[in-house]
Amino acid sequence: MEVCNSMSDTQNQVQISRVVKRFGETIALDDVSLTISPGEVHAIVGENGSGKSTLAKTMSGVLRPDSGLVTTFGESPRDPMHARALGVATIFQEILVAETLSVADNIFAGADSLWKRARSRAEANQKSRSILKQFSGLDIDPNTPVQQLPLSVKQWIVIARALLSNPRLLIFDESSAALDLDATTRLHAEIGKAREVGCCVVIVTHRIAELVRIADRATVLRDGRVVDELVGKNITKSNLLRSMSGKNVAIDAKVAAESMLGRELGSVVLSARALRVDRDAPPFDFDLHAGEIVGVAGLDGQGQTDFIRAAAGLISSHSGSISVAKPQGLGFAPIDAKTSGVAYVSGDRAHEGIFPNLSIFENFALPLYRSTFGEYGWIKRRQIQRAFDGEVKRLSIKTGRTSNLITSLSGGNQQKVLIGRAFAAGPKIIVLDDPARGVDFATKRELYTQLKEFVHEGGAVIYLSSEIEDFFDFADRVLVFRQRIPFRTIPAIRFSEHAFLAAMFGESEEAEMSFERVGAA
Amino acid sequence: MNLNEKARSLLTRNQHLLTSVCLSAFLLLVAAFRAPQLFSSSGIGSAIIVLAPLVLASLAVTPIVLAGRGGVDLSVGPLLGFLNVTLVAWLVEYGYSSPTYVIVYLVGIGVLYQIIIATIIIYVRVSPIIVTLSAYLVLTGVNLVILDRPSGVAPEWMFDWGNGATVFSPVFFVLCGMIVLWAIFSRTAFYQQILLTGGEERMAFASGVNTVGARFGAHAVAGVYTAMAALCYTALIGSGDPTQGSTYTLSAITAVVLGGTSLAGGRGGGLGSILGSICIYLISYVLATFNFGTVSGFVTQMSTGVVLVMSLLVNSAISRPAGETK
Repeated sequence: MEVCNSMSDTQNQVQISRVVKRFGETIALDDVSLTISPGEVHAIVGENGSGKSTLAKTMSGVLRPDSGLVTTFGESPRDPMHARALGVATIFQEILVAETLSVADNIFAGADSLWKRARSRAEANQKSRSILKQFSGLDIDPNTPVQQLPLSVKQWIVIARALLSNPRLLIFDESSAALDLDATTRLHAEIGKAREVGCCVVIVTHRIAELVRIADRATVLRDGRVVDELVGKNITKSNLLRSMSGKNVAIDAKVAAESMLGRELGSVVLSARALRVDRDAPPFDFDLHAGEIVGVAGLDGQGQTDFIRAAAGLISSHSGSISVAKPQGLGFAPIDAKTSGVAYVSGDRAHEGIFPNLSIFENFALPLYRSTFGEYGWIKRRQIQRAFDGEVKRLSIKTGRTSNLITSLSGGNQQKVLIGRAFAAGPKIIVLDDPARGVDFATKRELYTQLKEFVHEGGAVIYLSSEIEDFFDFADRVLVFRQRIPFRTIPAIRFSEHAFLAAMFGESEEAEMSFERVGAA
Repeated sequence: MNLNEKARSLLTRNQHLLTSVCLSAFLLLVAAFRAPQLFSSSGIGSAIIVLAPLVLASLAVTPIVLAGRGGVDLSVGPLLGFLNVTLVAWLVEYGYSSPTYVIVYLVGIGVLYQIIIATIIIYVRVSPIIVTLSAYLVLTGVNLVILDRPSGVAPEWMFDWGNGATVFSPVFFVLCGMIVLWAIFSRTAFYQQILLTGGEERMAFASGVNTVGARFGAHAVAGVYTAMAALCYTALIGSGDPTQGSTYTLSAITAVVLGGTSLAGGRGGGLGSILGSICIYLISYVLATFNFGTVSGFVTQMSTGVVLVMSLLVNSAISRPAGETK
């Protein structure tokens, strides 16, 4: 790969000039222009539906602009194949892997041409193994079918695929979403290396804290238009939020905490006894009270996902029992969960959330047909419509025509439809598995407000998040998982970034205590 | 990589072969007891001659299925029949029956036909089942127009191909040649691109795989294999038959599925299809040793169907990804 020296040369830059892209009546990009220089980490930020992902897709050749020009190193990418030849590597928001094929096949997808193999199988295997070891710290047989691996490894496979192609332009579209904190740090180190060799790096992200750390330049999009460009030191949380929302958002995390603490907890609505998240994990007990928001956190693969899925009835626990209000035995299934008033919202939209071939309205209404609005198999369309309109308004979902396919919405708006669906079923407990993945700050705040209201009315919430900052001013207590049990429970009064990290990494209570005393002072 | 690990990775890669390997081993065992003449030189010889068209037809369908997007070729049987009747009714009739002419003709038409089908599927975006079903109906009719009843003779040089008295018949060498060709094909980057396309098309497309090229290529390979299947079929029956060719469609697809190739694409391979074909042959061979009288044909069909469903059940049980929910 060549190192680019001249900053002004179009041969070495990525230039986007006056790009317009429409989807039906929605304008996703409206006259967007920007330049990405070699050796620069350029962040693209904005709320849901502001056009970030569309912009990334025009750069990677997946979408062609309706008008305007994308020039990567002097040429406009016609399609992904051409873009790849120009040195563009993209890591998409969705984790695109061929589940039935091996790790090595997935990592080197697109490296070979139709007739020529770029490297021998042995070399591909050996390289896959070493790069995954370097990235994820795990020693994985490159012949393993990808479907047997956890999500975080799949994410690394996708990242490895991009990095191994020796890119000149590297695009990350929300691609740290499936990684935990530690892994994100490793990813940043890789981004740093790419930057050093003169690669252009584009990051599309909702994780503001993350981009404040690594971006050299940030372009803020709102409703498909560039509204601000921040450079270097000016990239701060408050500046970004101000530009994104178009108004002054004060960020203070500790206001409402007191009001929540004073609240009386109701009766136990869900309890787990001697629960094991897998066969070898130690058993533990857990009680969820009405009027309570319980956060769940942990490094990747510490059992928190299994716990939350067991709570939602998606998987059966290996031993022990979960009961909802009235006792339920083992093998408590999603359908039981639903009838006993547990709603589940997954962060894995593509697999567990949306029906991609159905409309926005149908996606909202489908699970409700039986439980809420259908009697004797009849669908009360008007009632559902009313509930739908109510949720659309409450969650301010940006929909075009509701008969459009759900996939015509941006990721964040899709998620809102799913959350609306959970609310509309009238649950007593809502279990959320990292629902804020790929969702912007404003939507998150709205979601939290809605969830708080829900618990005020006597509901209960279990909320898993991969971002620590989500819990502040929101959860009443957080279970931090480590080694497949809740390693430590942190009450709202003791929330601090340090406390969470200490628990996640299994640091001693004293280290945490000493820090907290300082914090409390 | 140590030996143990090598063995394990070989196992993970070939998990889909489990059913067909076990089933064919079982059937061979039954055959050894019921009708040991299968293992004589002439027994193997005639088995190869009967098997060859089926093996080649199932290999023809395999790359199309592997390339995904619901790809399947229902017209493989009638195409095989078409090549057979035109070979007998036109080439032999007008004296162009030298081996070179015949092979160039068969391969040329086979590939040309598949390219046309691929163009319709890829560019007109009609579902492969519909396109190839239409082609099935059209070709079945055309075959009967060209030759209204079984008649004609195979090219002279093929006369002794069909007697199968020894193992090393010309058909054996054709079959081996095509299997070796497949082995080479499955080690190419091209084959890999077909698997990636079938495994997850959006991923393949977005990471710069030439998905259109891979799909066309898969069809072209299918054309070559159908052509050779037609050659072996002509050798088997020694004449032209407008209707029997069509029956290969169902057997070939059954063989592909028995061989563990996923109809969703991206998973499976040629070895499975070969083993699947062998299973199908053995099922009818073993059943023929029982006396079902006039209904034996139905019994064979029924058993094949049952075996197919069972194999799908076994396959889905073993290939379920770890940690998947019930």
